[in-house]
Amino acid sequence: MNIQNVTHLVHAYKIAPWRVNRQWVGTSLLAVVALAMIATLYLDVTSQAAIAGREIQDLTAAITINKQVSGDLQTQLATLTSASVMKSRALELGFQPMESGQAEYLVVPGYSVIEPDILSSAPLPQMSALSIPPEYNQSLLDWMDEKISSSSRGLQ
Amino acid sequence: MRQQYARRTQVLSLVLGVIALAIIVQMTRIQNSAEAAIFRQRASNYAYELRTFYPDRGEIYDRTGHLLAGNKTVFEIGVDLKSVKDPNAIAAAISVELGLDYAQVLDVIQNPPEGLAYVVLADYVEAQKAINLQELKKVVQEQAPEGALGELTGLEFKSHPQRSYPENALASNIIGFINRQGLGYFGIEEKYDTLLAGNPVQVLVPTDPNKATEIARVPDGTTLVLTINRDLQAATEQILDEALVTYGAQGGTIVVMDPRNGEVLTMAVTPRMDLNQFWNYDVIYNNATEFNPAVSMPYEPGSVLKILTMAAALDTGAVIPSTTYLDTGSILVGGATIQNWDQQPWGVQDMIGCLQHSLNVCMATLSTQMGANTFYSYMNNFGFGHLTGVDLAGEAAGRLKIPGDSDWYPVDLATNSFGQGVTATPLQVMMAASSVANDGRTVTPHVLYAMVRDGRQYNVPAQFAGSPISEQTAHTLSEMLAISLESEGSLALLPGYRVAGKTGTAEIPVNGFYDSTQTNASFIGWGPVDDPQFMIYVWLERPESSIWGSETAAPVFAEVAEQAVILLDIPPDSIRQQLVTK
Repeated sequence: MNIQNVTHLVHAYKIAPWRVNRQWVGTSLLAVVALAMIATLYLDVTSQAAIAGREIQDLTAAITINKQVSGDLQTQLATLTSASVMKSRALELGFQPMESGQAEYLVVPGYSVIEPDILSSAPLPQMSALSIPPEYNQSLLDWMDEKISSSSRGLQ
Repeated sequence: MRQQYARRTQVLSLVLGVIALAIIVQMTRIQNSAEAAIFRQRASNYAYELRTFYPDRGEIYDRTGHLLAGNKTVFEIGVDLKSVKDPNAIAAAISVELGLDYAQVLDVIQNPPEGLAYVVLADYVEAQKAINLQELKKVVQEQAPEGALGELTGLEFKSHPQRSYPENALASNIIGFINRQGLGYFGIEEKYDTLLAGNPVQVLVPTDPNKATEIARVPDGTTLVLTINRDLQAATEQILDEALVTYGAQGGTIVVMDPRNGEVLTMAVTPRMDLNQFWNYDVIYNNATEFNPAVSMPYEPGSVLKILTMAAALDTGAVIPSTTYLDTGSILVGGATIQNWDQQPWGVQDMIGCLQHSLNVCMATLSTQMGANTFYSYMNNFGFGHLTGVDLAGEAAGRLKIPGDSDWYPVDLATNSFGQGVTATPLQVMMAASSVANDGRTVTPHVLYAMVRDGRQYNVPAQFAGSPISEQTAHTLSEMLAISLESEGSLALLPGYRVAGKTGTAEIPVNGFYDSTQTNASFIGWGPVDDPQFMIYVWLERPESSIWGSETAAPVFAEVAEQAVILLDIPPDSIRQQLVTK
C-alpha cells in the first residue's frame, strides 16, 4: 500500500457522514452537559442563599425575642429588688434602720473609694455593624457580572 | 423511500422551527411590550415594603445602677374575623382570663365595625395572661379532631413593649412618664424624650421570604443614668411623708444636692404618682405645677433668703460679722413700716445675731444701706428671676421685681431682703446658696449623671453658673450660719457633724394680704461646714402644729441630714479630719 492510498483512506474516514454526525452530536451533548452543570451550580448557590436568608430571618426574630425576654427579666428583677420590697424584706429578717451614731468608721491606709465607671448593663452586640458577605445574597449571575465588571475595570 | 423520509423530516423540522421561532418572537415581544412594563412596575410595587423599625426606649437608672424605668413586653389580643370558628368560645376564654364582659366581647366579634377584618379585644395585656391564653388555644387545637380547626382559631396575639417603672411612685416627679402614644410627660421622660426614644429606621424589606437582606440596624434609645441616689430618695420621701403627718402640713418638698457639682441626689415631693398608672394623673394633680413643685412652683421663700442678703452685704464690704447695729424693732422704708417677726426690738446685735434671730429690720437696713442697684445686681447674679437650667421639664423662673418694673415699689427693697415679695423655686434658692457652700461659685443643678449609647458612657460634667461672691465671703458666711445654729441650739443640728443653715417662715398671701396664720416653713442647710458634701432644702406648706420653720422644717432637715451621712458614707467630722490630716 503506497502513501497515496493511505491518504485517500484517511480522507474518506474524515469525511464519512456518520463521523460528521457524531461530531455534531458530541458537540451538542457537550453544550447540554455544560448548561446542565451551570444550571445545577446556579440552583445550588441560589438555594444556599435562600437558606441563609431564612436563617437570618430566624436569627433576627430570635434576637428580638431574646431582647424582649431580657428586658422583661430585668424589669422583674428590678421590681423584686425595689426599695420598698428590699426594705420590707430587711425588716422581716429582723434588721433595723441604722442611726448615724451607730456607724463605725475605720481608717484603712491606702484605701480610696472606687467609683463605678459603667453603671448600666453591658453593651449590646453590634448586630449589623458588619455587612452580610456577598456570598450569602449574591446569585451566580451577579457574581459573574461582578467578576466581568471588575476584570474589565482592571483592563482599563 | 429514504429520500421521501428525509424530505418529510426536513419539512417537519422547518415547521417546528418556525413554531419555535414564533414562540420566541412572541415571548420577546410580550416581554418588551408596554403592557409588560406596566406589569413589571406593578410587581415591583409589591416586591418590597417600607417598614419602620422603632428602637427600644432607653432605660433610666439611678447613680448606683438601680433600674428606675425599663421596658417590658405586653400583648395586644385581637380577632381575625375571617378565620373565627367559634365566637362564643373566644368570648368565654377572654372573659375568664382577662376579666372582660362576656357579652360585650361576643358583640364585638359578631358585630364588628363595617369593613374591619381584625378587631382588638384588649391591649397592654400582661405577658403571663397572654401566655395563658396562647397555651389554652394550643390545647384546644390539639383536642380538635384531626384536620379540623380549634375553637379558639382566629384569636391573635401581637407583642409590643411597654414602659415599666419598677419603683412605682418613687421619684415619680423626677422621672415623669410616657403615655400610650409613646410621648414623654414631665421630668426626665419629657426633657430627654428624643434621646430616650431613639431614631426609628425605615427600611425597604423584600416581600420574597427567600431573599436574604441586610438587617436594619436600629440602635436602642439612649440609656440615662441619673444623679439620684435611690435609697436616699426613698428615705427622704418617707421622712417627708411622716413630716406631713407630724406637722399637719398640706404639702412638702425636700431636695438634697451636692453643692460641689450641682448633682441632685434626691428630690422628694408630695403628692407622688404610681408611674405605672399614669392615667391617674388627673385624679392626683390639679395642674401641671403640682407634679414637681421643687422646680415648677415658685413661692415666697421667706427668711432663707436672708443668707443671700447677708452674702451681698459682706461681699460689698458694707458689714463684717462683728458689725453691730441697734435694733429698734421697726424701720420705715418707702413709706411702709418693716417689723421683726415678733414685732419686738432686739437691741444691739452683730451680724451673727442678726442671722440667728432672723431679724427683718436688720436685713432691711442692710439692703437699704447697699442701695437698690447693688442689692438687685447681687440677686440677679444669684439667679433669681432666671431659670436654673436644671434638666427637668416644666421649670419655672419665679419673679424678682426690680426698679423700673411697673409693680416695683421702694418698700420691695426691704421686703425682698427677707424673702417676701420675691418668688423662687426651692431649686433656685439652692442654686443661689450653693455659692456660699462652694467657695463662692454657683453650680447649675442637674439630674443627668451620664448617658450610655452603643456601650459607651458619656459622663455629664459639672457646670458653674458664675461667682457672685468671693471665696472669703462664702467661708465667712458659712461660719456665721453654723455659729448661729449652734448658738440657738437649733433643731437642725446633727450630732457629730457641723452644719450651716437658715430657717424661713413666710406668710402666705391670701386675697392680696399676708395671712399670719398660714405660712410656708422652710430650711436650707449644708454640711459638713469645712467640706460641704450635701445641701438640703426643706419646704413644708401650711404646717398646722407650728407656723415656724425653726420648729417644723429644721428638725426635718436634721432627719434628712442623718440619712444623708449614713447613705453617702460621710464620717463624723472628727474622723474625717483625722483622715485629712493623715
